[in-house]
Formats: sequence, C-alpha cells, structure tokens
Amino acid sequence: MGTKLKLSGADMLMHALHDEGVELIFGYPGGAALHIYDAIFRQDKIEHILVRHEQGATHAADGYARSTGKPGVVLVTSGPGATNAITGIATAFMDSIPMVVISGQVASHLIGTDAFQETDMIGISRPVVKHSYCVFDANEIPKIVKEAFHVATSGRPGPVVIDIPKDMTAPDNLFEYEYPKKANIRSYNPPVEPDDNQIERAVTEMLNAKRPVIYAGGGAIASNAEEELFRLNEILDAPVTNTLMGLGIYPATHHRFLGMLGMHGTYQANMAMHNADLIIAIGARFDDRITNNPSKFSPGAKVIHFDVDHSSVSKIIEANIAVFGQVKNSLSAIIKLLETKLDQYNKDTLQPWHDQIKNWKSSHGLNYELYKDESDENPILPQAVVQHVYNITEGKAYVTSDVGQHQMFAAQYYHFDEPRKWINSGSMGTMGFGLPAAMGVKFAFPDEEVLCITGEGSIQMCIQELSTCLQYNLPIKIININNEALGMVKQWQDMNYGGRHSQSTYQNSLPDFVKLAESYGHVGIKVEKNSELKSALEKAFSMKDRLVFVDVYVDPAEHVYPMLIANHSLEDMWLSKDKKT
Amino acid sequence: MIKRKLTLIMENKPGALVRVVGLFHQRGYNIESLHVDPVDDFTPYKFIEEQLETKFKENEISRLTIQTLVSDSLMRQILRQLNKLIDVIAVSNEETTYLKGVLLDENLL
Ligand SMILES: Cc1ncc(C[n+]2csc(CCOP(=O)(O)OP(=O)(O)O)c2C)c(N)n1
Ligand SMILES: [Mg+2]
Repeated sequence: MGTKLKLSGADMLMHALHDEGVELIFGYPGGAALHIYDAIFRQDKIEHILVRHEQGATHAADGYARSTGKPGVVLVTSGPGATNAITGIATAFMDSIPMVVISGQVASHLIGTDAFQETDMIGISRPVVKHSYCVFDANEIPKIVKEAFHVATSGRPGPVVIDIPKDMTAPDNLFEYEYPKKANIRSYNPPVEPDDNQIERAVTEMLNAKRPVIYAGGGAIASNAEEELFRLNEILDAPVTNTLMGLGIYPATHHRFLGMLGMHGTYQANMAMHNADLIIAIGARFDDRITNNPSKFSPGAKVIHFDVDHSSVSKIIEANIAVFGQVKNSLSAIIKLLETKLDQYNKDTLQPWHDQIKNWKSSHGLNYELYKDESDENPILPQAVVQHVYNITEGKAYVTSDVGQHQMFAAQYYHFDEPRKWINSGSMGTMGFGLPAAMGVKFAFPDEEVLCITGEGSIQMCIQELSTCLQYNLPIKIININNEALGMVKQWQDMNYGGRHSQSTYQNSLPDFVKLAESYGHVGIKVEKNSELKSALEKAFSMKDRLVFVDVYVDPAEHVYPMLIANHSLEDMWLSKDKKT
Repeated sequence: MIKRKLTLIMENKPGALVRVVGLFHQRGYNIESLHVDPVDDFTPYKFIEEQLETKFKENEISRLTIQTLVSDSLMRQILRQLNKLIDVIAVSNEETTYLKGVLLDENLL
C-alpha cells in the first residue's frame, strides 16, 4: 500500500476539483481566497479564467454548464466577491443549472466579529442555492466537494455554494488526501426511474387523445432527453411546443414544431395549448409566463406531467397523471410500452387537429418577409437582424442572449434544431447574462460559432468582460440590437401606461460602441441602414479570429408580438399594436 | 385555512433549521409555532433506518414540529418543498409522510 498524499486544504481542494473532472474555473481573487489562488498557481491541470467582475464569473460558468451539461465552477473571495456572485447564482438557480461556487470566507475565529470583508455567504445565498456547505474541518474538503458536485448535477440540478474560511486552506496544515468514489447523502435521493403504474396510465391517455400537445421545457434539456422526445413523437406525431428554456430540445425546423409558447409565444402554439385535450408536459413547470391566468388555462385538457421534482408538479396546474423520475428514463419507459401497442394507435385520427393548427399558423404566423425590405427609407427591423444572423450562421451557432425585446426576437426568429445551443436567462431574466455566458460557451466550444444577441441596455451591465475576451482571445460575435431604449420596459409603458416612457430612454448618453469595442482591442461595426445590414453581418462573421461587436440601430418603435393579454387565457393575445384575438 | 401540524426528522447539521424556517418565509407560508428537539430514542424511526439503509447515531438527527395555518391545496406543496431540502430526512402531516423519494399514506413521525 502506498502512503496517502499529504496536502494543505487549498491543495486538497484543487486535487478534489481535478478528480471530479473539472477543467475550468471562472473566478476573481481576494484576501480570503489567496491560499487557494496560490494552490492554483502551483498546479497545471485546471485552468483558471480571470473575469472582470464576479457576476461575469457566475454567468460564464453558467454558459459553460448550459452548453456542455457539465457543472460550471466559480471561485470568489469573501465579502464583496461573494455578494457580486449572488445574481449569477440566482440566475442558475431559477433555471436549474448545475454550478459549484466556492467562496473564500474570513478565518474561522473571526466569523461573527464583523471582520474585514466578512459576509454571511451561506445566509445570503440560502434562498438561491440548491444546497450549501461551510467547511469547519479541512479534513472534510474532499467529501464536501464530492457531495457538492453530486447535489449540483443530480435530480433537478442547481447551484451549490461551498464557503471556506481562510484557515481551512492554510499552507502549513497538511491532511491525508483521498477523493471519495461516491457521494453518500442518506437524506438526498432524487427519483430516477418512473412508476410503472403511472407509465401505463400515461400511455393510455396518449393513445386516446384527439388533440394532444407536447409541451417540453428546460427539464427535458437538463435530462438530455432529446432522442427520447424525438422517438416518442415519431410514434405519436403530435404537435410540439417548447418553452423559452426548452428551445432546441425538439428540432425547430420539424414540421410538427409549433414554436415557443407563452407570453411571446407563437399564435399557433398558444392556440394549440388552449384547445388541447391532452397536454404532455415534459420537464416544464407551468410558469406564469406560460399559463397566463391559471384558472383560464387550457380548460379542456388533461395533463400528464413528467418531472424529476415533486414540488413542480401540481403546483400551478393540477396534473391528472404525474410521472416522477428523470424525464429521459420516464420517456424511455413510455416509448417501450407504446411500441407494444402500436396497433392500437392511428396517427390519422390527429389529422383534423393538424389541419386546425395549419389554419392558425397561416392566419397569424410570425412574419418572415421582414428582412426582404432593404430600402433605406425604412428603419431596420430587429426581427430582420435575427433572421439574417440565422441565415448567415445556417442555424448552427450557439446563441446567448440578454433580456428584453432582443431576447424575444432571438427566441422567435433563430430556429434551434439542437438542445444546449440557446443560452438565456429564462426565469430570472438577468440583464448582463449574455456576454459572460457566451465566454463560457466559447471556452467549451472554441471551434464553434458563438454569438450574443443583446441590447444596448443589457450589454452595458457586464461590458467589462470585453477585457476578459481579449485576454483569452475569444472571438465571439456580439450583435447589439440597438433601439436606444430599455425596449421591453418601453413596450410595457406604451401598452399599459399611456406611452409615458418613465426612465426607459437615455437622452443621447449611449457610448460609441464601435470605439468602445476598439478600445478593448476588438473590432466594432456600426450599422444604420437596411441596405448595409446583410453585408455588415457577413463581414463580422467572416472575421473568424476576432471578437466583433456589431452595433445595429433598429426601429425604436417596434414591439414584440404576439403578446398575451394579462390575466386572460392563452387564446387572448395582442397580435400587433392595434390588433388582438 | 386550518391549523396543521407538521413533523420533520432532519439531519442535525449547522444551518438545517434556518433552511426550514427560511423556506416558510420565502414561499409565503406562515409559522404559528415551532419546536425542535434532538432525537435520542431511535426506536420510532426504525422504518426510516431500514428505508434509507442507515443507522442513526447520537446527536445526528433532530425532530422538529411546526404549527402552520394553511389551505388544503397548499399543504401538499409545503410537504414537497420541505422534502426537497437536502437536510430533511422525512416530513409528515396528519395524513402523509414523505420519506425522501417515497410517499407513505399515513403519519409515521
Ligand atoms: C438586471 C435587470 N434589471 C432590470 C431588468 C428589467 N428589464 C427587463 S427588459 C429591460 C430592458 C432591456 O433593455 P435592452 O437590453 O436594451 O433590451 P431591449 O428590450 O431594448 O431589446 C429591463 C430594464 C432586468 N430584466 N434585469
Ligand atoms: Mg434596447
């Protein structure tokens, strides 16, 4: 038997992260984390990415996690470092993204004394983490790391914080290091395999439905269930809609795809949900942006709800059949049973339903003619920008986004055929997410096209990361849909507040984004005319090894439609400024 | 709204109680009263030990009782949310017990 390695707490942490398979850490140093930073310096297995703001570190780790499915890892110091990370932790929490955040803490004997840069990170982060650990005994670092990754990545994923007082990582205290093979948490046991009885009931409903809709969300992506979903619908041939978080889990170019549903969902998706007789909810949680008024939601539908999280089922909309388990496993079980009953199913019975949907689609579908208007009398339309980007990148890029109108245009007009390619802050709606998230994606996929569709408001919330992009040579493409306003806020003010634009415009105070990009060492391109749009975008995407910031001035008056009318059903939508259903 | 009693068996770990209390606040559930004790007699919880294939040791778990005013429809949601907390081993109301992934049809705590 060889003798065990003796290491300091900081070195154990690095060894544990390496043994866990971590390749990248996004972080920012400071006093309480300096022992750890020294351990980082003395190893060469894990790369540390120095961001420019801790919020950027969390979003970058988040983008890495969403695009790869692997947990993102963040390292910050105590006090302000920890609090700066909170927005990104909350963003990951609300979208169920696996992340492990390591925060330095003041030395154990100083805890509770209002020491320099002391903050109760466990307390501050508690409502926005799946779980958290404070290290009280350095011996436990390997076990805690193992558990943290297990909790973050299993069941319904989420962020886990490990708070480490400085003395736990001191260089002089050595411990025998061994990384546990398995996390063993007796009080944690998320469901994996579904209950046979529920599978049988679900299949019976599926076989008998006349107007079924598959409604799949981020949980289906988290569970890597794209093949199962596709196979399920080869059998059922039902219309499919995705939530904002679920885009890509079913190919957007498939003829059964209805588009996104909800607040800014397509007319046909919302109409189909409202008029369905069976809703097959897969890793989706009936968020208020989906249901509109729950009491008016889809009055004639039975609901089968597949989810790994008990508390997500029958929270907003009562499920008739609940199937708990990893949705990948649950769908496999459904498919297996369905395949024995194919003789009981006739796809043709859905034909009237498909005809109805086709009608809806042709009466109020999204407008794909917009980008054909290249005359310079008309302002550039934001939708046209996204359509050009979609065409130039052949729909294959990783697209991150921020929050606002540009985000909704991106979701509506960039059609994702694969999961994990659409990266946006769905539930938190965190402005500032897009650029750092794109960095995380680019680190994971250096050879893929990664672009960020943003707005002039959002991009300024984490603009400092342009500096990180230069340091690590990240040739991201930033498409700034510049409407010179907090457009989504302004749209609500137009619709609900008599057009009173309270604090949603900037009075000519925007920076020159071209010069700004250049001063960060990147390329900037400004576009103001329809006739220049396509060629400017093509030029940007042709510069493979440079970060290009394309600042596109668009029509500031444009609104996002369709838009659900608040407190009504999914059938009640604004279709344009002067037309509703 | 009816007054209901919830019983929890949870790991006696730092911060575990705060997570329970915090959850009530965060989700807008109210707490009428709350009581915590360390558990030293494990005989009533043999079924948990069997189900989780574990052996409780001294000072390892505590028992928490909470009185809360809730509607019926919220009750199940509260149980499920509590059950989701990593440090909570089991939670019950008058009719049901959630023992991690398992739902049992009576109050066993
Ligand atoms: C951090 C943060 N603060 C405030 C908001 C509220 N908010 C939602 S959209 C929006 C406007 C965003 O403006 P911009 O990035 O220019 O996008 P646009 O709607 O103009 O496309 C605001 C302020 C938010 N989502 N996030
Ligand atoms: Mg804007």
